[in-house]
Amino acid sequence: MDDLEQAILLASDSPAAAAASPAVRAEALAYCARARDETPPSSLLHLCLYGLASSPHAHVHFWCLQTIHDALLLRRRLALPDDLALLRSSLLSLAVSSNAASPPFLRNKLAQLLALLVRFEYPHVYPSYFLDLIPPSPPLPGPTDMFARVLVSLDDDLLSQDYPRNAEEASDAGRVKDAMRAQCVPQIARHWHEAAVSLRAADPAVAAVALDAARRCISWIDVSLVANDVFVPLLFDIALSPGSVAPLAAAAVGCLSAVAAKRMDARAKVALLRSLMSAQKGFGSPDSGLKMAHLVTAYAVEALECYRKLGSSDADGAAALEMLEEVLPAVFAAAESGDDDEVDSGSVLEFLSGYVSTMKAPTEKQLGHLGQILEVVRMQMSYDPVYRGHLDVLDKIGKEEEDLMAEQRKDLIALFRSICRVAPGATQLFIRGLLVTALSSAEVSVEDVEVALTLFYRLGEIVGEEEIRTGAGLIRELVPMLLSARFSCHTHRLVALVYLDTISRYIKFMQENDQYVPHLLTVFLDERGIHHQNAHVSCHAGYLLMRAIRLLKAKLVPYLDTILQSLQDALVQFTATDWANKDIKFSSSEDGSQIFEAVGLLIGIEEVSPDKQVQCLTALLNPLCQQIESLVMDAKAQGLEESSPRAIGLQQIIVALTMISKGFNERLVMGSRPTLGVMFKKTLDVVLQVLISFPNVKPLRSKIISFLHRMVEILGISVLPCIPIALRQLLVDNEAKDMSEFLYLINQIICKFKSSANALLEDVFPAIASHLSVILSHDAFSNGFASNTEEMRELQELEKRFYAFLLHIATHDLSTVLLTPSCRHYLENIMQLLLITSCSHKEISHRKTCVQTFVNLIKDWCSSSEIEDKLPGFRVFMIEKFATGCCLQSVLDKSFNFRDGISIALFGEIMMAQKVMYERFGENFVVNFVTKLREAHCPPDLAEQYYQKLQGNDIKAFKSFYESLVMKIRQQQNGSLVFR
Amino acid sequence: MALPNQGTVDYPSFKLVIVGDGGTGKTTFVKRHLTGEFEKKYEPTIGVEVHPLDFTTNCGKIRFYCWDTAGQEKFGGLRDGYYIHGQCAIIMFDVTSRLTYKNVPTWHRDLCRVCENIPIVLCGNKVDVKNRQVKAKQVTFHRKKNLQYYEISAKSNYNFEKPFLYLARKLAGDPNLHFVEAVALKPPEVPIDLAMQQQHEAELAAAAAQPLPDDDDDLIE
Repeated sequence: MDDLEQAILLASDSPAAAAASPAVRAEALAYCARARDETPPSSLLHLCLYGLASSPHAHVHFWCLQTIHDALLLRRRLALPDDLALLRSSLLSLAVSSNAASPPFLRNKLAQLLALLVRFEYPHVYPSYFLDLIPPSPPLPGPTDMFARVLVSLDDDLLSQDYPRNAEEASDAGRVKDAMRAQCVPQIARHWHEAAVSLRAADPAVAAVALDAARRCISWIDVSLVANDVFVPLLFDIALSPGSVAPLAAAAVGCLSAVAAKRMDARAKVALLRSLMSAQKGFGSPDSGLKMAHLVTAYAVEALECYRKLGSSDADGAAALEMLEEVLPAVFAAAESGDDDEVDSGSVLEFLSGYVSTMKAPTEKQLGHLGQILEVVRMQMSYDPVYRGHLDVLDKIGKEEEDLMAEQRKDLIALFRSICRVAPGATQLFIRGLLVTALSSAEVSVEDVEVALTLFYRLGEIVGEEEIRTGAGLIRELVPMLLSARFSCHTHRLVALVYLDTISRYIKFMQENDQYVPHLLTVFLDERGIHHQNAHVSCHAGYLLMRAIRLLKAKLVPYLDTILQSLQDALVQFTATDWANKDIKFSSSEDGSQIFEAVGLLIGIEEVSPDKQVQCLTALLNPLCQQIESLVMDAKAQGLEESSPRAIGLQQIIVALTMISKGFNERLVMGSRPTLGVMFKKTLDVVLQVLISFPNVKPLRSKIISFLHRMVEILGISVLPCIPIALRQLLVDNEAKDMSEFLYLINQIICKFKSSANALLEDVFPAIASHLSVILSHDAFSNGFASNTEEMRELQELEKRFYAFLLHIATHDLSTVLLTPSCRHYLENIMQLLLITSCSHKEISHRKTCVQTFVNLIKDWCSSSEIEDKLPGFRVFMIEKFATGCCLQSVLDKSFNFRDGISIALFGEIMMAQKVMYERFGENFVVNFVTKLREAHCPPDLAEQYYQKLQGNDIKAFKSFYESLVMKIRQQQNGSLVFR
Repeated sequence: MALPNQGTVDYPSFKLVIVGDGGTGKTTFVKRHLTGEFEKKYEPTIGVEVHPLDFTTNCGKIRFYCWDTAGQEKFGGLRDGYYIHGQCAIIMFDVTSRLTYKNVPTWHRDLCRVCENIPIVLCGNKVDVKNRQVKAKQVTFHRKKNLQYYEISAKSNYNFEKPFLYLARKLAGDPNLHFVEAVALKPPEVPIDLAMQQQHEAELAAAAAQPLPDDDDDLIE
């Protein structure tokens, strides 16, 4: 044993281990393992019992208990009755003589082992476990503590439903509980009571453990053993007595809560709850303090459940509601405390939501409760002033706090919503109270204003659009109040942001009430909005102004000049090239560019007179174009670095131009107000100069592409002459990502101009094709995959755009372009690529795109007479390669999944292809395809049926027939066929 | 507190026990911390690795001796013997494996048997993986036992500091304690889809409002 003792100490975190070398410790661990695994069972038991009796070291005791436990549980190696009897008597005597001062982990380990013996032996082998273990009266701390730990272990390891249990464990648990109920539960309950009485002062920690054991058993014992007029008053006394230490009081509350939560019929439950209430009048008053929070919540939940089940017309149901209302003040106090240790705010919130959901037409009293719940919501939604500074500058801590609060608020908002639905009037009144308070004092805190505005904002989400429009209820009063509000803490980021959001939320009200439009504009334009000291607030205001303009349009025409004047400095600032001063990083969506969109929208409103439009647009575009020209001139002389202030300045200007153009459409610019079209056309020329001079500054180029998208959109066909030169420039130094962007533009042009883009496409197609053949070569994919996944994603994106490109050509009357002499050169490769992709690409949506492309090409290039075919050889290629490879072999392959949505869509296209081939190629197609079917072991009758269905008009029936045919052939082949 | 072959330091240090099913990423998690990686002592034969991880807070430095019980064969090593004198703990499960979540209560029970009343964090790891099996709303155990729960991704460093910060705050008894220096971490191996994660977290928040299920049988397929 000395060696083993030494080994255990060296392998653990004992002081001896700290000085030992890893080699020594490894050896020690191996020694322990050998002792455990290789010692004969009887000897091992004796060894461990000896260790328990003789060693002074806790680590050794722990190891011995653990080893016996494992041996018993896993290997059943202590099967000899004599061994078991020895073990039992040794452990029981250890337990009853147990000293409460020994380390808890050892007492728990001993309890765990005893609980295991109970599981295996009680009551059939040894019926007296509990009779031996129940401490005699008066209970002493050591045995009481040990007994409680055995019960706790039994609960943890066998009885409790909180852990996964197998069937054997479940049946053992039933047996143990039945025997205990029959034999000793009343005696045990008496012991708990005695222990609580005699140890609450002498050894409160032990009394707490005893009550914890009681709490765990209440769910399966006769509840009256605890819920009686002796025990319950004692528990309340312990729970509420100022002299009780916290763990003991909590254990008593735990017992009471377990009693309240005991599963039973609703009427019996009402009686039980009533008895609890009469045992301690006023335990539900907030004066009881937070330590009763757990009980109060459990009580309220149960009362609510009874009320729900029995209904208000039932006497017990009504009584349940009364009981519930009696504890409500304490629930509110718990909820408002914000004390996470004492209060499970999740279950309190859950209860409050449940309570609110039972209300339909709240009574006066209930309205009072709802008011209190609103106050709870408000408090829990409020930020802690500690973070005020962090939240203003939004540093790391502020960001974290903001995220945390966003999460916390989700449930609260759900509760707020349901209150708002039940009692809209009271909710509005509550919010008015908050706003009035916030506005009436200069001392009001950031947090109070923020939460008041947030609730008002949320209200706007819940009330209907119609109510906002008409200003139903108090909205008519609240919105104007808000519009003229200036809070003392308006400079704080949080307040300013939620203020603007709230105003925007109620903007429909301004739409109906013109008189408030000037106020609204003032909000956006003064230091509460775009001129706020915080750049993020300012940008957000720009974005919201843009949305307001979209909505209010014509109503804003009278204020055009005012708005433009107010925005002047912000507009200039955005395109200023002194980027050294702009140290704020913006999220991509709100970068301040939206004010240009706002201005564009404003000028683009049709109610603005043509002269005014020209005047304003000139004032806007000319300086920007001049700026570009001068920057280009400087850059030509001095070069243009990608991240230089000059390049960034150019980008900003081009972004601004793009945003301005969003306010205009083709009908206006090219139709009713052509002067505007000329202005944009000029602007386009200026921007193209940038591209021509500096084609390979990529971030800049990307902004130019966005601008070109807009110009294609608004200038219509007149843009076409400018496009070829732009496209040629865009192909300079063109990598996968650039090519993707490029194709996106081309695809837009094709879709917009259709056959009018014929000449253009003919011009650029060879360049595109040769570029793509390099970038999209198979090598690129195979090498790129392992080496760089970002590159791979770019390639995949490009691939997708390319197939879309081919499909667009085929669907927009442009397929003849492929047949022109300059493009013909690439045709063979493209056809092969389309074929391979449509048959076997792992991206099913690509396959579908390619099949659709083929279908369109067949329609474009082939008529029913072969002589008129536009591309000799295409017909044969389709019949022999595509029909066989794609329409038959690819679907026969087991990887083709008929249960997958995209695959089903692909299958539909494949069926369409067969129909079209039959229509254009007739018997030539059928003969070949049926032959291939037969070769794939298709039964002759089914091949015949195929022919019939193909001729028929019912595509749906044809599709389902073909699917069943495919399945049949697959079965016959039984997986042995190798097609590829 | 004695620790195998570990130098002592003159600032507060705590024994942190990390438990959870094999393969949930316990080792990967502790190894993200670069200084810890540098100083760690590998103790392969005793079935546990101890990593000293240092963090700098506004109240000074703090060290966690992380007892990574990774790779434990069910009945090998000292098992719960390693928990003795543990002062705080992390229970790890893998959100892509339901079984690892189902076993969380058992880990918690075994831990609490040896270390009574210590602060514990529950961590759902591998949230970077697209194919989640344990949805945020299904994670309710922490609410029953008053634990803190974090979704983490050891491979992408997502939320790496959170469990340590929570434990440090509990151990120091200061809810406003914060880390003042960025922790040196290995670069992320996988990018985390933040949009997706935000959705999960929204689910998690929404789940907090849901009633607790009586048991977790609905997790079994």
